[in-house]
Parts: sequence; C-alpha cells; structure tokens
Amino acid sequence: MQVNSDLEPTVRIRELKKDRVNFVLENVDLAFANSLRRVMMADLPTVAIDTVEVVSNTTVLPDEFIAHRLGMIPLVSTNCDEAIRNNRDCTCESACEYCAIPLSLNVACSDNRTLDITSSHLQYDPSVFHNESGEEGDETAKRVENFGHPVGKNDPSVPPVLICKIRKGQELKVKCLAKRGLAKEHAKWSPCSAVAFEYDPHNKLRHTTYWYETDSRAEWPLSDNAREEEPPRDDEPFDFNAKPQRFYFEVETDGSLGPQEVVMKGLQELQRKLAILIHNLKAEQEPELNGALSGGGDPGMDQSGPQIWGGGWGNSAATNASPAAAGWEGSPAVTGGAAGWGTNPSPAGSGGWGTGASPNAGGWGTNGSPAARGWGSPAQQASGWNV
Amino acid sequence: MNAPNRSELFVLEDGEKAVEILEDTKIPNAATIKVVKQDHTLANMLRAQLLATPSVLFAGYKVPHPLQPYFILKIQTDGTITPADVLSQACNRLIGTLSTLEAKFKREFSFKDVEGAVVSEDPYGVPSTGGPTWAGGRDYLDF
Repeated sequence: MQVNSDLEPTVRIRELKKDRVNFVLENVDLAFANSLRRVMMADLPTVAIDTVEVVSNTTVLPDEFIAHRLGMIPLVSTNCDEAIRNNRDCTCESACEYCAIPLSLNVACSDNRTLDITSSHLQYDPSVFHNESGEEGDETAKRVENFGHPVGKNDPSVPPVLICKIRKGQELKVKCLAKRGLAKEHAKWSPCSAVAFEYDPHNKLRHTTYWYETDSRAEWPLSDNAREEEPPRDDEPFDFNAKPQRFYFEVETDGSLGPQEVVMKGLQELQRKLAILIHNLKAEQEPELNGALSGGGDPGMDQSGPQIWGGGWGNSAATNASPAAAGWEGSPAVTGGAAGWGTNPSPAGSGGWGTGASPNAGGWGTNGSPAARGWGSPAQQASGWNV
Repeated sequence: MNAPNRSELFVLEDGEKAVEILEDTKIPNAATIKVVKQDHTLANMLRAQLLATPSVLFAGYKVPHPLQPYFILKIQTDGTITPADVLSQACNRLIGTLSTLEAKFKREFSFKDVEGAVVSEDPYGVPSTGGPTWAGGRDYLDF
C-alpha cells in the first residue's frame, strides 16, 4: 500500500489530435486512474438538445424518432459550466437565454431528389423562447461565438450529422431547446465518445484470465501498449505484491469539448468533489465537537486494546510470527490468520477481513484479493463491499 | 412513467444532508460515513487513499443499491486519529495529487500541437448535397 505514495504521478502525452488525446499516466493508484476515467465520461457538463416541439413533420420518421436523433447531435459546449446555467436552477418559467440555447429546423423538399436534413440545417433562433427571462447573469458574455451550435457547422472539413432524408413534398419543422446536463442523466451529455483505458498489457498481474485452446500467448494478440513494457520472462515467478503502475488512456471526444478541456475539466471536477466532501465533513462534525468524535478515540482502543478483543490484535512482529487465530494483524508480518483481519499483505485465511493483498475466500478483501463473497475487491464486487 | 428523475442521482434534495457520520458502537475507532449523491468515482478513490494511510486499519465502501444514489464508507483507525479526520486528510492528499497532475498535464499540453485537424472522409460515402434525381423526372406527386 506504500507503493504509490512515495512517487510523484507523471503523465506523458503520446498523441494529441483535434478530437482525441492519448496519454500514459504513471505512479498513481488503479482506483485513482479509474476515477479519472469515470469523471471524464460522466461528470462533465455539456449542452444537448433536450426539448423538441414538432410544428410539422411529414417525413417518414415519427416525431419521437427525430427528437431522439436531435438529442444525440453534439453541440459546441466550450466552457459550459460558466457559459450556461442549469435549467432547473434558473428562475425563469420554462427556459431563457441564460439556461437554454434556442435552435430551430425548417426544411422542406421541393425538388425531384432526396434531400438530407443534417445538423447544418439547425439554426440559432431566439423566437423559440416565450419572452421570459431569469435572473440577470454574466453567462451569455462567457460564451464562445458558436456556443450551442452543432459541432462542425460552417466547417466543410467536418461532415454534418444526418437527421432524416426527405423526398419531394415532405417537410420537417421543429423548435428545439438545448440545455446543460450531465451524462449521468443521459449519455447524450457525455463529451466523450470513447475512453480507452488499459494497464498491464502483458497480464503480469493476472487481473484477467484468457480463454485459450492450446496456448494463450499464441492465440491472444498483444495490444500496442505492450511495447511500452517488458514482456515477462518464462521463469519469472508471480509477484503477488505487484500493483498496476502505468495506465494507458485514449480520450476521444464527440467534438462538444476539446480533448484538452475534457482532461483538465475532469481533474478539476474530481478536486471539486473532494473539496465539497471536506466541507460537508466539517459541517457534519461541528455540532458534535463536544461529543464522542472530538476525543482521540475510545480510551480502550489504544495499544492495550488487544486483550479486549478475544483473539487479540497483533501489534508486534513477535505476535504475528505465529498464526493468529482470530486476530487483527497490525504490522507487516507474514501470518496465517485463520479468521483474522489482515491489515498487511499477508495470506490471511479464508474467513478473515483481509486488508492486504491476500487471497481471501469469503472475507472482506481490502484490495487486489479475489474475495468471492462478502466485502469484495473492486474487481469482483459480488454482493458486498468494495474494500 | 413512474421512474425517478435522473437528476436525483446527483442533485441534493432540499434539506438533505450530504454527509452523515455514524460512529460504530461495537468496533473501536470505527465509523460508517454515508455520502449522498456520489458514486464509485469518489468512493473507490477515497478507499484506495485511506488504505495507503498507515493509521487506517480498515477501509471499505459499498453502494448498497444501484438505484439509490449514495455510498457508505467504513473506516477503522488505530486510535491516533478519528475516522472523520483521516477521511478529510485523505481528501486533502488526493487534492494535492490531482493538482500536481493538473500542472503536469498543462505542461504536456503546451508542448503538444494539435495534429491532423482535418477529417477528410465523408462518413456516408455520398456528397451531402442530395441523392440522384429519380429516373424519368417523375415523382409520386404526378400519380
């Protein structure tokens, strides 16, 4: 558990393109890297079409079909958390310039040819609003020029998104409101189209098992990231204390935010979440300052505590040298606790609460341990805790 | 129809407490901390950071039900620090790591120029100006 704390996290960008960034993150915890991945996918605000009023639709597609397609169109959302407020927080009746982007679509076909209705036909159209306004704000001043417009509009190098095909005599007239949202609410608000995440390309840590007919190495191709790491030697013993150190990311965006903004905003969002938690913890503790939490803890719970707890807590290496029957290991010694709470990388027995990298069967595995039932590890959370 | 509003997953309701600390009565120096409107993103990261702290004997989290937007975090310390304090310490450490990482990302991004800005291919394989004219110049309006 001391593996990552002494090394500074490092990052190396391998490729940066208009819509994607490929980087290698090193010396961080697996949980940390995964949280970064999760936050980039689901916790960054963007704008997307959320309400659609169909004025006329004589196309072959039903209204709800078109409304859904409109919602999926990526809209430019640069600096979204300052440039638009949440519709639910706005003081206006339904929607106003501060909490929504008005867009309209009015296309009819009068030629003898199939006409493609695309995202380029979406027009900024303030007449969609019903003449109301929420509390004054500086949101509109913080917008980029094409904020809320479909990605790649007026850019011939970006092909527009097809909404519907119509023939002569058909028309589509809709009024849309684009609102700010999170991908937790609907995936259309995700700025990422894909986030690739890989670690340990040689499977040295055995976090996965490959199915094979005769030889897994011959049958499973290695990923490109495998070139970054030493292949394992054939005679190399399995290092059960090893932890993943190097994480390969490729963040691909749909264009609503740039890849750089996605990564930076992701890091900021994580910090914001933590800061809010600290704040709330303080607020929660304050009324109880005179209560039990303020003291240094229970008087019975210092080093003299072990006796109270039957099997006893192993506090010295001497205690731990013997297999503690129902004890809590407190020091990094290899023990064979049968039903103990292993707090160190010890092979704690089957019914224990392993806190180290111990192969628990039914205990509270605290990391990297394939706990089958009970408090499982993040990899295998069957019915219990992710410890 | 009767599905709960999705925004309930991340918006705190009126008067709802964001954090609740429940001291464990049977285990010494242990507390169960309920964090509302947060998910694995925060919980797993905190769990990992707590386990890297020497004074923490036990740290684990669970999201009891996927439809209920909260997680509970169980922490036991060795008695030198309270579980709530060790948690805010872990938060501070993580913020530190994140800000150093942010600075490193900023540096890396400033070195890299955006390459290959042009997407050349039309995903539909057809020019978007419209399909071919129908044969004979007739259409369904003529029938």
